[in-house]
Amino acid sequence: MQKGVFDDFVREVMQSREFVAPVKGDQTKEVQESFFTDIKDPSQIEIGQLTYFPIKYYFFAKKEVLFSFHKNRIEEPEIDIPERVFFGLRLCDLNSIKHQDTVFLNNGFRADPYYQARREHSLLIGMHCKKGDDHCFCQSIGLKDFYDLMFFDKDEHTYGIDVGSEKGKAFVDEFRRFFEEKEEGYITPEDKVTINTFKLDTTNIKNLWDNEVWSSLSEKCTACAACNNLCPNCHCFTVEDEVEVGDVTKGQRVRKPAACLVKGFTRVAGDHVFRDDLVGRFRHRIFHQLEFFRDRYGETMCTGCGRCIRGCPAKIDWVTGINTAARKQRGGQE
Amino acid sequence: MKIKVDIGPYKPEPKKIISYKREAPDSFTIRLDWQIEHGPGQFVFCSAPGIGESAISICSDSRNYVDLNIREVGNVTNELGKLQVGDELLVRGPYGTQYPMQDLKGNDFLIIGGGCGVAPLRGVIKYIDGHREDFNDISLFLGFRSPEDALFKDEHEDWDKRHKLFMKFDKMEHENSTACYTGSQGFVTDLVKQEVHDNTNKIAIVCGPPIMIDKTVEILREKGFHDDQIFLSAERLMYCGMARCGRCMIRGKYTCVDGSVFRLDHFEDE
Repeated sequence: MQKGVFDDFVREVMQSREFVAPVKGDQTKEVQESFFTDIKDPSQIEIGQLTYFPIKYYFFAKKEVLFSFHKNRIEEPEIDIPERVFFGLRLCDLNSIKHQDTVFLNNGFRADPYYQARREHSLLIGMHCKKGDDHCFCQSIGLKDFYDLMFFDKDEHTYGIDVGSEKGKAFVDEFRRFFEEKEEGYITPEDKVTINTFKLDTTNIKNLWDNEVWSSLSEKCTACAACNNLCPNCHCFTVEDEVEVGDVTKGQRVRKPAACLVKGFTRVAGDHVFRDDLVGRFRHRIFHQLEFFRDRYGETMCTGCGRCIRGCPAKIDWVTGINTAARKQRGGQE
Repeated sequence: MKIKVDIGPYKPEPKKIISYKREAPDSFTIRLDWQIEHGPGQFVFCSAPGIGESAISICSDSRNYVDLNIREVGNVTNELGKLQVGDELLVRGPYGTQYPMQDLKGNDFLIIGGGCGVAPLRGVIKYIDGHREDFNDISLFLGFRSPEDALFKDEHEDWDKRHKLFMKFDKMEHENSTACYTGSQGFVTDLVKQEVHDNTNKIAIVCGPPIMIDKTVEILREKGFHDDQIFLSAERLMYCGMARCGRCMIRGKYTCVDGSVFRLDHFEDE
């Protein structure tokens, strides 16, 4: 695609679909950090930096109505899902969607119908990221190619585009006039390179369970759960009933994201909290990201985007903490 | 675009309550007109619309009905306590693993329960009674807070006749209470210490509060039990039953699908 026609392409897609892309936060408004939103004009798109907020809430809604009830009578919800094109997703964003797909669609149990509906009405277009910032460590994770279409900044005038799925191919066919067919191998391995200056030592994490690093890392943690909320992969949730004012027999059963850093995450009736200590909760999140998910599904859940470090009010850099602990442990064994 | 969602996996079904029995001051057993395939150790979700959903273990073993013993300890279970015979209860399930009874044929069983942890063990006892020739000696070691708090009191005499029943109570406040068939003051772990001598062809099934499970496991190991002879139940907060909500995770294992019945060598606590 010629870069010169990109804005026209976006405008044409917007005729029939919502176009969700990264935008800068508004320094005069409440949300000052960058995020994904359905844009009204191509000039809003800001692909220069990783968004502060994750993409996940478009699929894993902040509040999903599972059903409404009146006493024991249950009614299926109608959810409003526009046809959406997501643009400007980085490979870390895309892999996080892949991991959410694993949990909600492909974990061996009946697919989650709400998530499925939202995903079916979406098309994922990536924008290749050439260089991460000081907190990015995606190269330590081993991300997979996962997209409907992927844009590469080929040269000053051209985007190279890789078609990653049937859905992506159908989309290109629909907007044919903006695309030029290229020979196989047009997107080279060099085009796919991403440079990281920050790295995570993943060699020995399993052996760090009883390490003192968790105490030192969680020392400054306030259990604010910013890491859970900003993480594109964290998918744990809570289910609760919301009743109508004046008639408690009517209401809705809703699902909302839940944060494992918060003490109440494992609180049961009788006020027993299973994961009572913050050290254990901190460790649980990192282990779920780096070990538990991989043990179950064969892929590391963390995508190395570094949002949890960037957004941490206490600036807890757990990656460096783990690297140091792993190095120490190796030193001790030698 | 408005989309009507098929809420299948999360949809509870109304089932009629055909009997209701108060077991203890804070616990009752209901029987549901519900025909499902299930095994001992599995659980279901019960809804109290407007309040929420709770995971409750099945305490029967029948294809014709489902018994649930519920302790009134939280918002949902307190609401469920108000149910009456003839009411309908919203349920979904069954979920979770079961005791692999088929693979455990020919063994002696030590069934060790504390408090409301005895409920799923009743399912095991019912299963054994239905397949008596498959199993050898059955010993029941049960502990409750007091004789008044004992569950399934009507069945103790029968259990003692068929098997060996030992009971302990934290407190014997009501010394003269006839509510209970047999038992003395102490902990269920005392019984295990006294009555269990070796691990030969024995399987131990343990369900109860975490501290009781820990102590019991410790004693069983001292008696020579290997971890593959011990089954335990782990309970956590849970919302989905489908390895998604993440609330029940214990060191990477989902209690709702990898448990709640775990063989000890497959279980690692935090």
